[in-house]
Amino acid sequence: MDEKEMFVNAYRTMVLARTLDKKIVTAQRQGRVGFYTPTMGQEALQVGMSMALEKDDLIYEYYRDVPFMLHRGVPLETLIDQIMGNSMDNEKGRQMPSHYSAKEYNFMSVQSPVATNLPLAVGAGYAIKYRKKKNIVVTTFGDGSTSTPDFHAAMNMAAVFDLPVVFLCENNKWAISLPVEKQTKVEIWKKAEAYGMRGLKVDGNDLFAMYEVAKAEVEKTRNTGEPVLIEAVSYRMGPHSTSDDPSKYRTDTIPEGSEGDPIVIAEKKLKEKGYIDDAQIENIKNEAKELVDRKFEEREKVPPPKPESMFQDVYENPTWIIEEEKGDIL
Amino acid sequence: MSSKQLNMVQAINSTLDSFMARDDSIILLGEDIGKDGGVFRVTDGLQAKYGTERVIDTPLVELGIVGMAIGMAVSGLRPVPEIQFQDFIFTAFDQLVNQAAKMRYRSGGSYNVPMVLRTPYGGGIKGGLYHSQSGEAYFAHTAGLTVISPSNPYDAKGLLSASLKYNDPVIFLEPKRLYRSIKNDVPDEDYEVPIGKASLVHEGDDLTFVTYGSMVPLVLNTVSKNNLNADVIDLRTIMPYDGETILNSVKKTGKVIIVHEAPRTLGMGSEISAFIAERAIDYLMGPILRVTGPDTPFPYRLEDYYMPNETRILKAVRKLQEYR
Repeated sequence: MDEKEMFVNAYRTMVLARTLDKKIVTAQRQGRVGFYTPTMGQEALQVGMSMALEKDDLIYEYYRDVPFMLHRGVPLETLIDQIMGNSMDNEKGRQMPSHYSAKEYNFMSVQSPVATNLPLAVGAGYAIKYRKKKNIVVTTFGDGSTSTPDFHAAMNMAAVFDLPVVFLCENNKWAISLPVEKQTKVEIWKKAEAYGMRGLKVDGNDLFAMYEVAKAEVEKTRNTGEPVLIEAVSYRMGPHSTSDDPSKYRTDTIPEGSEGDPIVIAEKKLKEKGYIDDAQIENIKNEAKELVDRKFEEREKVPPPKPESMFQDVYENPTWIIEEEKGDIL
Repeated sequence: MSSKQLNMVQAINSTLDSFMARDDSIILLGEDIGKDGGVFRVTDGLQAKYGTERVIDTPLVELGIVGMAIGMAVSGLRPVPEIQFQDFIFTAFDQLVNQAAKMRYRSGGSYNVPMVLRTPYGGGIKGGLYHSQSGEAYFAHTAGLTVISPSNPYDAKGLLSASLKYNDPVIFLEPKRLYRSIKNDVPDEDYEVPIGKASLVHEGDDLTFVTYGSMVPLVLNTVSKNNLNADVIDLRTIMPYDGETILNSVKKTGKVIIVHEAPRTLGMGSEISAFIAERAIDYLMGPILRVTGPDTPFPYRLEDYYMPNETRILKAVRKLQEYR
């Protein structure tokens, strides 16, 4: 794929992710979806990272990584089925919306408790090193996660054991209602030095800047087997979740379509480079809308999971206790 | 068939050794388990034999040890993390409850965690508040975890062998008081003690004891010293406990005493008592009694008062003898 094609494809994914995001939020307001954590604003940094990765790299993501998943080829259906919690969902409708799982694309299943994915990513990195493989692990988390003991444990262990783990902090400036200034006294990327690993900050709203940094750092990690902390500075344009009203705690905003919007920034640069024009942009947006609308209607028709599936997968083989409870309830 | 007289430390060590020799996906990790061989020497000599990559001395961070082990397990290894004392496990509780226990379920069966978490637990070694706790009920209360506690070297080998082939997370609670106090004939060849099956270690008609871990030798000694005509059930697997063996015995004897070290309120005795009451109340000839640790933290100087003993067990036996 040449550079033009690569970036136009990246842009297309960003638009698709944004379109899906808005569709789900609207559907939630209409009572068609239970809950959602919008990704709006974090498209460029996720797609920029994804562009730098190989197929066999492992992702230990968090609950706001839709653009990342789409760019790695996770089908729209997989994401919408999870949002609906229907019978085609990889997780059999067990998790709240936004907690995807896509093993086929090396995405771990998403947890709610923040940063608990980080120590797991370290273990996955250890397995890679032990088996002398060449793939790497990327783990994503928000700025709030950097206050947790799990962040500390994972950063420390990845450095002590020299493991190929990319810690991608998606600093969207807000942990629900707490601004990043009240989360931590120092800039996040600077914490890397205390653990003995590379650390750097990048404008996560700029697709081109993000890709450049991601490519260089992923390559270093792949070649040296050493971890890195990348702070991708971005902005959570939407609420934390559909249950949250940010007007209660913040006045700053980056409105959609404004010059701080990563999609607008990408469009400007793509046009400057002559990779895309206004007609193509409109075309991409129309295509995304048509596709999302169509898939959404289609997946809404998928029936819910069968009740007995609730009792499966607790263990490889159900215990007598679970079998008995199943009999009592169903 | 050849066998050796081994204590529990030796039985666990030799089981780990034989599994590691044939399966390079087994990785041990924990604090001081390598060069030092573990504070109880359970992993002694294994790092020298298998190297620092397979017997990892980790930084001092329980949640990191457990979280890292879960990630290894998801990636196709079979980690055996050691938590130096079960009392120190609580910073890793989130990892156990929200990651390990729920991984298979939340991923719709895509991912699973074949991990055996070994940890010494229980009192009787003058360990005070932070080296004596029996937290089995915390783990047993979490769907997705399997909780095991051997009471002797033979079962320790058999249960650990079964755990190392099991594809879900196991909390392997080692009663530290029994580490070196009992020796058994332990066969050299492979065998498994099945997960979920209790053992009827003494048979009788008047009374059923349900117990596990470090309390098994105490109950057996009490029974033989006092010529009690009792069934003694060693659960071996705490969750899922063997309800069938319990019920069969209770239906025969009509009287039950549950003995464990952990505090009484909402301990395993509560669950087993409710289980029996639900299914065998018509067979009961007296109240279901519990002889347990009290609902206090574990005291240092007064540990002998905390631990169940022969006197307290006999008191319960006498109380049940009033019911005919």
